[in-house]
Amino acid sequence: MAIAKILRALALSLVLAFFLFPIVWILLMSFQTNEEILRLPPSTFFRPTLGNYIALISGHLETAAGELDITFLHNLWNSILLSTSSVALALLLGVPAAYAFARFRFRLGEDIAFTMLSFRFAPPLLVLLPLSLYFQDLGLNDTYLGLIWVYQLICLPLILWIVRGYFEDASPDIEYAYRIDGHSWWRAFTRIAVPLAGPGIAAAGLLSFIFAWNNFVFALILASADKQPVTVGALAFVTASGIQYGQIAAAIVLSILPTLALALYAQRWLVEGLSLGAVKG
Amino acid sequence: MFLRRALPYVLSLPALLVCIGILVPFFTAAYYSLQRYNLAMPGSREFVWFGQYLDLLSDPDFWVTVRVSATYAITTVGLELLLGLGIALLLHERTRFNNIVSIALLLPLMTAPAIASLMWKLMTNPNFGVLSWLIAQVGIHDFRWASAPGSAMFTVVLVDIWVYTPFMMVLLLAGLRSLPPQPFEAARLDGVAPHFVFFRITLPMLAPYIVTATLFRLLDSIQQFDIVYAMTQGGPGDSLMLFQVRAYLDFFQYTNVGTSAALMVVLWAITYLLSHVFIKQWLRLRERTHGNS
Amino acid sequence: MSGLAIADIRAQFGRNEVLRGIDLAVAAGETLVLFGPSGAGKTVLLRAIAGLEPGATGRVVIDGEDVSTHGPESRNVGMAFQNFALYPHLSARENIASPLRARGVSAGEIDARVGAIARLLRIAHVLSHPPRALSNGQKQRTALARALIAEPRILLLDDPLRNVDAKLRYEMRLELPRLLRESNAATIYVTQDYREAMALGDRVAVLQNGVIAQCGAADAVYDLPANREVARLFGDPPINLLPCRPQAAAGGIDIEAAGFRLHLGAREEATGKDCLLGLRPETLSLSDHPIAGGVAADIVAITPLHERQVVLTRTAAGEELVVSVAHDVPKAGSHVWLLADPRAALVFEASAGKLIQAPMAIRGCAA
Repeated sequence: MAIAKILRALALSLVLAFFLFPIVWILLMSFQTNEEILRLPPSTFFRPTLGNYIALISGHLETAAGELDITFLHNLWNSILLSTSSVALALLLGVPAAYAFARFRFRLGEDIAFTMLSFRFAPPLLVLLPLSLYFQDLGLNDTYLGLIWVYQLICLPLILWIVRGYFEDASPDIEYAYRIDGHSWWRAFTRIAVPLAGPGIAAAGLLSFIFAWNNFVFALILASADKQPVTVGALAFVTASGIQYGQIAAAIVLSILPTLALALYAQRWLVEGLSLGAVKG
Repeated sequence: MFLRRALPYVLSLPALLVCIGILVPFFTAAYYSLQRYNLAMPGSREFVWFGQYLDLLSDPDFWVTVRVSATYAITTVGLELLLGLGIALLLHERTRFNNIVSIALLLPLMTAPAIASLMWKLMTNPNFGVLSWLIAQVGIHDFRWASAPGSAMFTVVLVDIWVYTPFMMVLLLAGLRSLPPQPFEAARLDGVAPHFVFFRITLPMLAPYIVTATLFRLLDSIQQFDIVYAMTQGGPGDSLMLFQVRAYLDFFQYTNVGTSAALMVVLWAITYLLSHVFIKQWLRLRERTHGNS
Repeated sequence: MSGLAIADIRAQFGRNEVLRGIDLAVAAGETLVLFGPSGAGKTVLLRAIAGLEPGATGRVVIDGEDVSTHGPESRNVGMAFQNFALYPHLSARENIASPLRARGVSAGEIDARVGAIARLLRIAHVLSHPPRALSNGQKQRTALARALIAEPRILLLDDPLRNVDAKLRYEMRLELPRLLRESNAATIYVTQDYREAMALGDRVAVLQNGVIAQCGAADAVYDLPANREVARLFGDPPINLLPCRPQAAAGGIDIEAAGFRLHLGAREEATGKDCLLGLRPETLSLSDHPIAGGVAADIVAITPLHERQVVLTRTAAGEELVVSVAHDVPKAGSHVWLLADPRAALVFEASAGKLIQAPMAIRGCAA
């Protein structure tokens, strides 16, 4: 029994080490100067510096080759703008549709719902490549609007199917009772149905925010440097000359911090979101 | 009366319109795939029916893509399933400590895959990468991780495992914890051996979760783009030419719209078949979770 | 006419016809009990009346106004749901106030009216609680208060006592008739419990397979059920049904079943047909000594039910008969004699189950 316990503890330690070490190491790296980073063996004790973050946030970089402007903060802003707007739009479109699929049996209803689900599993490039040509014609190429539209591919299926589950779990009688009280359909929807599905809507919103934030390929294809979110921006960073490793690490930390924080906050709903509402945690 | 019948359509119409906007490019892609179409040579554009597909079949590069994609998908999903199941079993009991661990393990999954690649790129940097230094300590020098054809696949698979094992873990953990306790209690009363309990009770009861999670991951893994593109852009050589990576390069580097579209349609056909099986499983789980309301 | 009239209400789910042309009329201040087995379509009918069943067709007339095309919010209906359907995110007070808020009643008047009905229903002390903090009885009263507060013309009560405990059900059975009378609404009260139907209904309509099988005073339904199913459902313990083949006799028929020999007046059409003799457990008498015309039987089991003894007996021929008596009975295993009252005996066709030749015609309930 004791051996089993020790083995279990050992296994868990290994697991934790493997999955958390990269995050910890990058975090440490972001507080080191270039010299400390390049020192081998890696330094466990060092005087932490905020220099990397300051450089990123000020946007000015003093290097041996001269002064360099970096737009990382702009990428961060793009990420915030794109994710927030996409989720807002997806909620606006998805919540009423989820309600329709949950409450009404109507012709084509299930077909539409499953078509939207299938978007989650279609290869994104299949849509993106022709879209990049269309967008040029439509003038949507390299616009926030075009990106937000395409981001619906990630956000809509998620919101639709999670929120639908919450609407289905609430008894329709509660809304009927409200209608009979003399309230219009719209009031029953906004005062009863939506508040009761509130936790589900919040969960779906948070999760689609995380997935929108983490998306890479949409912006890679449809956005120029000016509109790119952190995922694409950080990659461009690596290849830019003169940028120091500590600053890359700091950029990584800033890029993943929002989603990790949201994930910890929303962990109760993560399982449900990851399974598109099929499994509850 | 009319309004009441129209209501569901009114509610789902906006979402539907957005989707139609996305369906159009899908059909365009299918249409492109029937053409010889290179953006750099607009004059040579012609309709060739299934010519592109026939060309693909005889193109050794295509078969490299099929082989690389299959290797990638099967290796990652297989290893992630084993690891995820193992970790889920370790964390099965609902203790405070286990809950904290399971939440902590979710962090890699919440990291953008492209950024995760970047992190591992830094860690495997030949000059200062901590992993390069670590394996040098155990006597492996000049291991070149993603930049050598021999170890590139190993490296991206490692990143994929780091990012996506938590996905398997949480789904299987949720499944394990939702199993009814009676069969396990009965088995313990009967003094059934632990491995027997695992293979005859746990695994069969967990099967719906395993199948759903595996198909889900398989669907994503066969389309993997972010990790590989961010790590090596498909190289070195064509050692990591997954479907989407090759289609991306065909399109943007060689402006070959036709081949790129054909490649995507093939991938779509594969995922479509897979997603059919998946959705059936997924619906079954969903029904169990939401009852028959 | 003031009250509710519905005509030719039909509802169909896929191929399943749930309601096949329902006509009913309920006067203001009257309570009609809608009785029927589960799945008969009682709830669907209520929802159709309230305007909640978009698939339902037919006419709904409230106080002379055809509201068939109106939405549920403009029919001036009050409804209590089987599962209470309280708004979980609102306090009991706001739950009850909801119909008044929809009608734009002033805040002061809302307070006064909610307070008054809460005192009447003895829930004034829990008005600030959310529904999850209420007991089942308090939930049920809150739902009832919400249905009543706006003084609707039509009151639809969907088995409101289904989910409350026996004691409360007993209390409410005593209280409800007064409440309903005072509300002066036309009330449809759905139940599966025949005692509730007897206690509350001015009239009873039995819904069976999507049609009204019978409609009339509660006693009439009990005494002369339209068919075997109604007889079986409307009564507790259920009626004894014995196969028989009546023979012609002077002025009526002779029936021999399970040892009973009964002479019944009229009903000659039953002669020579396969029939079922229906004997209500309450109409059988039981004696511990031989009596003329009595059928010998053994007591198998005894269960007390509502101050009566329900006795399961088995005749020498092996027929099992349930007898319900108000007096004490010998213990199980004793030998007893059973006597049937020919005036209370019912005869049904064996195949169709229809009651044969009731002395009075069975009335309908349409307008």
